[in-house]
Amino acid sequence: MMRVYLLYFLLGVFAFAIVFKTVQIMYVQGDQWREKAENLTVKYRTIDAVRGNIYDYNSRLLATSVPIYEVRFDPNADALSDELFNSKVDSLARSLSNLFRDKTPFQYKRELVNARNQGERFHLIKRNVKYNDLKAMREFPLFRRGRYKGGFIYVQQNKRQKPFRLLAARTIGYDREGLESVGLEGAYHDVLHGNSGKRLMKKIAGGVWMPVNDENEIEPEDGADLYSTIDVNIQDVAEYALMKQLKKHEADHGCVVLMEVNTGEIRAIANLQKGSDNQYYESYNFAVGSSTEPGSTIKLASYMAAMEDGFIDLDHKIETGNGKHLFYDTPMYDSKEGGYGEISVKRAFAVSSNIAIAKIINKYYKSNPQGFVDRLKDFRLDEPTGIEIAGEGVPYIKDADDETWSGITLPWMSHGYELQLTPLQILTFYNAVANDGKMMKPSFAHSIQKHGKIVKDFEPVVLKDQIASEGTIKRAQQMLEEVVLDGTATNLRGADYRIAGKTGTAQIAREKFGYDDVSYQASFCGYFPADKPKYSCIVVVNAPSKNVYYGNLVAGPIFKEIADKVYSTSIDIHDELQPLQVAERPKIPVSKNGDVDKLKSVFDRVDVKYHLDNDKAEWVFTQTENDSVNIHERKVTPNLVPNVRGMAAQDAVYLLENMGLHVEVTGRGVVKQQSLRAGTRIQKGKKIKLELT
Amino acid sequence: MTRLFKHIGGDRVIWMIVVFMALASVLLVYSSIVTLAYKYQDGNTFYYILKHGLFIISGFLFIYLIHKVHYRYLSRFAQLLFWISIPLLILTLLLGQNLNNASRWLVIPVINQSFQTSDLAKLALIMFTARTLAVKKDDLKDFTKGFLPIILPAIVICGLILPANFSTAAVLFTSVLMLMFMAGSRLRHMSLIIPAGGLALLLVFAVAKIQPDLFPRAETWINRVERFASDKEEDPNGNYQIEQAKIAIATGGFFGKGPGNSTQRNFLPHPYSDFIYAIVLEEYGLLGGLFILMFYLILLYRAVRIVQAVPHSFGAYLVLGLSFSLVFQGLVNMAVNVNLLPVTGQPLPLVSMGGTSLWFTCISLGIILSVSRAVEVGATEENYKEDESKNEPVNKPIADAAN
Repeated sequence: MMRVYLLYFLLGVFAFAIVFKTVQIMYVQGDQWREKAENLTVKYRTIDAVRGNIYDYNSRLLATSVPIYEVRFDPNADALSDELFNSKVDSLARSLSNLFRDKTPFQYKRELVNARNQGERFHLIKRNVKYNDLKAMREFPLFRRGRYKGGFIYVQQNKRQKPFRLLAARTIGYDREGLESVGLEGAYHDVLHGNSGKRLMKKIAGGVWMPVNDENEIEPEDGADLYSTIDVNIQDVAEYALMKQLKKHEADHGCVVLMEVNTGEIRAIANLQKGSDNQYYESYNFAVGSSTEPGSTIKLASYMAAMEDGFIDLDHKIETGNGKHLFYDTPMYDSKEGGYGEISVKRAFAVSSNIAIAKIINKYYKSNPQGFVDRLKDFRLDEPTGIEIAGEGVPYIKDADDETWSGITLPWMSHGYELQLTPLQILTFYNAVANDGKMMKPSFAHSIQKHGKIVKDFEPVVLKDQIASEGTIKRAQQMLEEVVLDGTATNLRGADYRIAGKTGTAQIAREKFGYDDVSYQASFCGYFPADKPKYSCIVVVNAPSKNVYYGNLVAGPIFKEIADKVYSTSIDIHDELQPLQVAERPKIPVSKNGDVDKLKSVFDRVDVKYHLDNDKAEWVFTQTENDSVNIHERKVTPNLVPNVRGMAAQDAVYLLENMGLHVEVTGRGVVKQQSLRAGTRIQKGKKIKLELT
Repeated sequence: MTRLFKHIGGDRVIWMIVVFMALASVLLVYSSIVTLAYKYQDGNTFYYILKHGLFIISGFLFIYLIHKVHYRYLSRFAQLLFWISIPLLILTLLLGQNLNNASRWLVIPVINQSFQTSDLAKLALIMFTARTLAVKKDDLKDFTKGFLPIILPAIVICGLILPANFSTAAVLFTSVLMLMFMAGSRLRHMSLIIPAGGLALLLVFAVAKIQPDLFPRAETWINRVERFASDKEEDPNGNYQIEQAKIAIATGGFFGKGPGNSTQRNFLPHPYSDFIYAIVLEEYGLLGGLFILMFYLILLYRAVRIVQAVPHSFGAYLVLGLSFSLVFQGLVNMAVNVNLLPVTGQPLPLVSMGGTSLWFTCISLGIILSVSRAVEVGATEENYKEDESKNEPVNKPIADAAN
């Protein structure tokens, strides 16, 4: 056995030698190898696929990936001699300082000299450099000598940008590493993202990465483009109309959704919330995500339920008394002092009497409360719409056997309490009424295209073919029109076309302020034109802090402003004008300055003659003559503040923001004043105030 | 559990080590096959891990089945295996599958699984040597009667393995020498091997120079040895493998990067077999490396414990031969990984991926456990000894070291 032990001992020594050698590599030579690891000679590099763009309904860019650059400097590049470096470093520092204006030339010089002295090879100059700036930097002293002689290194990255910034920002959403994706970017991530590729790269002298093989090991596949249903023009109006009212009423937050009636396509969706600085931001998608007690807008469903069951008709009379009614010992009030007395069903709806609908529903469904709930379910109010973006709030409609069901549940439910819906779900219901009973699924996606070819077309989806009988729908439409004609929303009456809709004013207990303090949710939901519905729209404003909180006064004007604008710009809504009228048209309308293609298409459409002095012009201003319009180019020079006077706000904002300025707009219409003089040099990130007429 | 244990005989510690190593193997192989998976299976790592898992499970089945067999039946089997392996090796040399210029593989017809014939020959030779040593126990000191009959089969087998796989031949031959040494062969006789072996190697290299086709691998061997001996800095490309392994080790540190976090798996050649110990050190650090090393030494220690108790020399030689060659091969793999030895393609037994070689490792372990089980049973059942004595005399198995 001695020999066995001897051999065991020898193998033990062998094992010890292995451990010894391991420790030696790990700790004695460790630094050397770890350094080598940093400079590994071969690496798989992920090649990001180009993410697809998101376009609006008219093919305007809503979100796109633009290249940005990280610029670095190798102050110890092989061919960079002391003589060369010292003679050029001053002018380089000056150029950098001039371009970025974040440090003085002296600071830049000190930084560059330090980097050289410390033997750096990859000194960071600037992150997030835009292409134009990179182009400028290429011409800088030293840098223009390139990578090996001048030490100029840049790395391209892609950055997601929204050319329209705030517009529909939340709905467009984002998809960032480490954060939950939201909005369309999140919902269509798979489509937009594409597949990243892989490429084997090797490092050669000077820290340069070279592909090992001629082709990528795995080819990246570019993402497809999403054409959304959002119309930036309408979105613009919706966003600003909402913003204006929110500011006026100092509301906490609000949202607007505009939907095309017969397709369910959402043309505009705006969500604004007051930030800590009292400005409003798109920070949460209230329209989709926030379930609240809807208040009076739900009365439509209650009336329709009773009509569908044949209990009431428009001219039935109801006694509403003196404006106060006790259900058990809980009082219910109507908003008119002294009450409405005996009124018809149609009238009760138009003036939004709480007592009327509560009495009706209580009377006919008291013995069978589930019958009422089932009607609401027939209207498909209990199910989410299934909208493609994440985070839709779930409707809450309780059954009669629910343990929180009480004697007053029925009357309170009938006018919008003890149940919860999101603004989008209410709109979907109203849209179905406007669409003669056919309930459409709201959608944001129009088509998916790749390299200009349609990969997928999203057909409108029907959620329910007929939510109620034809007769009930007809009566519902009449009631909604009556609200605007002679009800709570007469302030929405207009000359050109009619709006149908319903106001809502709900009390919301805000627990954080204690039970005594209530806030209000003002809403208006409806559609237009009332006789031939084209669009439906909901406006919800939460917690207006002033004394005005009625739906017609707070939410109504937003609806009206959007409807007016949409009506006036939607050519397909209008009846054809008679040729005679065209001939008699006395004067050519004054046009705003702006994007030339749009102007041309408008002039072509309405058959106005125009003269264009420069075919290649992109931005123009107009001179209206007696029988034609002269279009002149408005020169836009990079890095100089352009003249945006006379332009529409949307064009001006687009132009200026893309040049790196922050735009603040007051008023509406066309630009009257700009706070930065045209022709002055642009400083990135500087604020420019536009005053509109 | 107790019911399960009732069926499992032999040394419990060895069983535990085998189970633990198999688990470690699954983790390590899963982590290190990524590049392979990308190359051949569209990144489907599951394909490989499933295959590996099946080999491990079937390997355990082998261990279990073989440990149930009493080892005395293996004596005849060793003879049979030995005589089969010689033509198989010749066949492999002539028409084996070529991998890296080395004909090492033979495809088993029917199940279409390629296997390395040297793995079979390895097992066969050690079993055969154990048998011969047991038979010639009394003549071990005699050159012609005791030395040549033992060394000649080893020379034949190793000689047949050598053209395609130098390192396996060397490791195997060393294992046989170790076994002979422990069994009590004369050191004087064994020391003759060194000049003889040297002469043979010279001959091989000479032939390789004149007729490169006969020994296509010779150039690789010379290169590897030269590289190992030379100053690393002079040859930045050739030492790629070792450099990558060292980076793995250095970046691993004491606790390692954690399971699945290896980056060097992308650069190390065969990270799932030849360089798996580097992956151990990278992902589990020095601590993990020490554990694996300790397991091998404990395995060897348990084997020695079995030998102390085994009443019969064939069993003792079997356990010694198999355990020492297994652990020695493991140590060689680790030594290569830490650049203590020049680069060779020795997998880490039980841990590396590699289908059939895992099977043969499991068969070896099954035999060791079979002896161990026999010892346990033998302690209670006297009839076993009587049984044995009919064939060969019971004796003190291990010769005195003094001789």
